Amino acid sequence: MFVLSGYEYFLGFLIISSLVPVVALGASKLLRPASAGPASRTTYESGCEPIGGAWIQFNIRYYMFALVFVIFDVETVFLYPWAVAFHKLGLLGFVEALIFIAILVVGLVYAWRKGALEWS
Amino acid sequence: MNLAEGVQFVSLVILGGLMIFSALGVVLLSNIVYSAFLLALTFISVSGLYILLNAGFVAAAQVLVYVGAVNVLILFGIMLVNKVEVFSEVKNAWVGKAATGAVCAGLFGLIGTMVTSHPWAISTAPAAGDKAIEVIGQHFFSDFLLPFELASILLLVALVGAIVLARREFLPDLVAPQQEALTLPERPRELVAAGVRDED
Repeated sequence: MFVLSGYEYFLGFLIISSLVPVVALGASKLLRPASAGPASRTTYESGCEPIGGAWIQFNIRYYMFALVFVIFDVETVFLYPWAVAFHKLGLLGFVEALIFIAILVVGLVYAWRKGALEWS
Repeated sequence: MNLAEGVQFVSLVILGGLMIFSALGVVLLSNIVYSAFLLALTFISVSGLYILLNAGFVAAAQVLVYVGAVNVLILFGIMLVNKVEVFSEVKNAWVGKAATGAVCAGLFGLIGTMVTSHPWAISTAPAAGDKAIEVIGQHFFSDFLLPFELASILLLVALVGAIVLARREFLPDLVAPQQEALTLPERPRELVAAGVRDED
């Protein structure tokens, strides 16, 4: 009994995605010139010089976007089994899912009206 | 032990070790950003354990919700607060430590009792396997309908509450100070000619 049957593609993706950073960094290591000037020590080579520390206080709008994203991410996870089992649930399941979505659309409208989705 | 069981055992040991050490790192590291990233590693290891248990949907939901959304939220929360450079000595710190130790020991005892007292009998029902998502969906819309619909109301409450808190509507204007526009400190710079210099 091979418990992980059906996960061969997952394993393939895992291996390929772990090889991507190794290959990218290794290739640039092979291709780039070996001598490093003082400019290559800067944070952004041939770019702007960064001012101040990297750990600054972020705008709260980032947090708002992440929060709205969490809510609708969870909604997606809840709706996925409904979509898979849709042909067995019938009309009643459709109506129940519409109620679920309608309650969350109220939240979306609230967030929209309160300007949580705008950057400005 | 055949090959499949060996693969499963090795994966279990690797994932379990990864989970335990990353969870220890979350607690023990002093840099809170490292803690947040190690928390993501813990979540990913838990998701790997779900895959070992043949619960693919739960594993995907774990990565999607916890790693993709909740952990990003935690990181943004860290970025929102100012970095504290020095920690002043807390008076009577042993009270808090003793209370934390008591709560953690009680929780450990509770879970330990549950682990030892639970029969852990393997269910004789056929494993859902590939049909697991369909079975979950059918349960959502039959006997778990009320929790499913309540979840949407919970999400609605969380969304509205978060927006109200973030916009500070509940505070009067006197209490909530107007936030100054964020400006980056400018550093005086010497003007340097950008063109090609003469060689003489």
